[in-house]
Amino acid sequence: MVRTAISRVILGVSIFAWVLLLINPGHIMSMEHCHVSDSGPSVSSLHMLLEMNPIASQLTGWGLMVVAMMFPKLIIPIQHIYARSLRRTRFSASLLFAFGYMAVWMAVGLLMIGVIMGLHLLMPGSYLPVTGLAVIAIIWQFSPVKQRCLNRGHNHLILATFGWAVYRDALLFGVIHGIWCVGAGWALMLLPMLLPSGHTFAMLVVTFIMLSEHLEHPKVPRWHVDFRAKLFRMIVAQIQIRLKEAQE
Amino acid sequence: MATFTRKNAWNQNGTFHNPDLLWYAKGVSVMQSRSLNDQTSWWFFAAIHGNRWPNIPGPPLVPTTPQPSQGLIDQYWAQCQHGTWFFPPWHRGYLYAIENILREIIQSLGGPGDWTLPYWNYFGPDNQYKIPPAFTVQNLPDGDLNPLLVAARYGPNNDGNIFVPLSSWGITQECQKDYDFVGGNSNGNSGDYGGAETGFEHFASLFGDLEWNPHNFVHAAVGGQTPTGRGGLMSNPETAGLDPIFYLHHCNIDRMWAAWNSSGKANPNDPNWLSGPTASGDRKFYMPKPDRTPWQYAPDVVNDTGQLNYTYDNLSLGIPPELAGRDALRLRNFGLTMDETRLLSTMNLNANTELVGANSSMTTLDATGARTTVKLDSKGWETVTKSLTNTFAARINNSPAATNLPDQVYLQLEGVKGNEDSIVCSVSINQQYVGHISLFGLYNASIKDSQHGGAGLTIRLDITKIVDQMHLSGMAELNSLDVLIQPVNIVAEGSELTIDRVSVYRKGLM
Repeated sequence: MVRTAISRVILGVSIFAWVLLLINPGHIMSMEHCHVSDSGPSVSSLHMLLEMNPIASQLTGWGLMVVAMMFPKLIIPIQHIYARSLRRTRFSASLLFAFGYMAVWMAVGLLMIGVIMGLHLLMPGSYLPVTGLAVIAIIWQFSPVKQRCLNRGHNHLILATFGWAVYRDALLFGVIHGIWCVGAGWALMLLPMLLPSGHTFAMLVVTFIMLSEHLEHPKVPRWHVDFRAKLFRMIVAQIQIRLKEAQE
Repeated sequence: MATFTRKNAWNQNGTFHNPDLLWYAKGVSVMQSRSLNDQTSWWFFAAIHGNRWPNIPGPPLVPTTPQPSQGLIDQYWAQCQHGTWFFPPWHRGYLYAIENILREIIQSLGGPGDWTLPYWNYFGPDNQYKIPPAFTVQNLPDGDLNPLLVAARYGPNNDGNIFVPLSSWGITQECQKDYDFVGGNSNGNSGDYGGAETGFEHFASLFGDLEWNPHNFVHAAVGGQTPTGRGGLMSNPETAGLDPIFYLHHCNIDRMWAAWNSSGKANPNDPNWLSGPTASGDRKFYMPKPDRTPWQYAPDVVNDTGQLNYTYDNLSLGIPPELAGRDALRLRNFGLTMDETRLLSTMNLNANTELVGANSSMTTLDATGARTTVKLDSKGWETVTKSLTNTFAARINNSPAATNLPDQVYLQLEGVKGNEDSIVCSVSINQQYVGHISLFGLYNASIKDSQHGGAGLTIRLDITKIVDQMHLSGMAELNSLDVLIQPVNIVAEGSELTIDRVSVYRKGLM
């Protein structure tokens, strides 16, 4: 029951973030550019770009994106924290875990926003950056490094039970989990951001892929064309089960 | 009416006078003559269970080439299901598949068309706790080398004397008393006969009671260790399928499951169990047929032995049924009877599990064992003692029927990691014996790139009885528990275990 409640709360938070992203208040999810930047990179075009897309607003959008796309991946680790902690420390330890996890993605976000802005300056509206990144993402997707990152994402630390060490461990667990998650998903996360258009749809596709690969069991790292379509297989199997039940 | 009946390997004193054993040996010999990349070879079948093979002293001489195609490896190898609720059905399909292949070989050799795999019932009378002698002689009656003889089979005392140390290791048929395949409330490792419901997470995969005891302990006892503490074939799931006794051991486990079913206990009707791991997007179960084509199966087609057209000559439960349930027996200690209509259904459905104490750091277990102190959380432990006091108070108020069940209490070894599965330990708390633990599956569970993600084993031991006794003797007001874990065999240098945390959990309605 507690496990179900955890799933519902986290999915609820994620859905809320998705709604905000779809509404896109203040255009936090899209990089605005103008004719100045179209004329080529310059100090003035950078100023213009920053004025139209303040870093704070870009970071807010990035944070929402992480919450929307990544939080469902935290269900199992948070269930683990709840199952293995004293009742009075469960909630705060889970919050610290999520905070540590978010902190890693936000740090990476700063770097990624820099890259995105730079590419917008150099090649505004161009599909070239996203094409290049797609090639890198595909290579990364089937690499042993990516598999190792996914495997380590299954490593769930057992937190200390008493005292301040509980919160230290929870934060550390979040940071470590975040690092492996970034290692596995950085290229996929960057892809929708580089798209001149259609990034909401791309985010949905990327979320599905990342959730699916997160559900796969760890495997021996090797170069391997593996689509990690466990979520898709599971949905198909569950539909088949429901249809069979309905027929009986 | 089933066509095939599996019989006791100890018939005709477990020698080659038993035609089931003689033909088994001849069939194994043919399978061993086939190459590793042949789906119907002995080696391929062993690899279906596990394929991480170290250098293995012969006999048998285990080939490592020619490897099958990657496609065949991905389809068939390393499928074995341990620590999941698919343990009983997957192994039933595995036995059925090898039995079909062996039967076809045996028929081609002029043997009986109704040959079946014999079972080794180590709980049987007289000497049946010992390995049938056919597995230990050098030659077959016709003088050929005996393929059932394995060098890396060392026994519980590591001296080549193979038997199941029933009483000294606490190996029992208690699991047969379980009421529920899953979601139960028994005294075993997970509380479930067949294993806890298996979803995506594997951080706390507990063994089902049938798998934990006797299955795991028999593996450890038969495989044993070399005098330097290295495990035999049966001690590790990766190599276990190479030993011909493996299939007779599992045949007995399958028989116990069938007997449990025939005593009226049901398997899950949850479609997620009936459909197998495919319901959660995992790989399908495949076994090779005698013609080398694949047989894909799921629990729904091996739910009953009749579906596979076989039965056993002995489907007795093997243990006298308890006239009262475990909870009722427990309440008797408090001088109470049980009002089942008010109690049990809610206990099983609504019970919460909560951590109430743990040690402070990782424990290392070496040849001398390990000792650690589990600090109890005052609030959490108070909940336990309150539940006991409230139950006791009901007696004082002259109410004969209990209105609540006191908490159940578990000792849990979390993140047990190491590389030697053959180690068996005894565990005690506050100088009171809790039970033995087998580490079958330890190596696999400890590899970071394995299915377990390096989480190690989680071992749960029920300490409710001990806590009840403490309470009844006025000694349950505790701040800590002293936990002692002692190996009963060898922990060699380099095979030390680590235990991330030793903890205590309560399970109750509050």
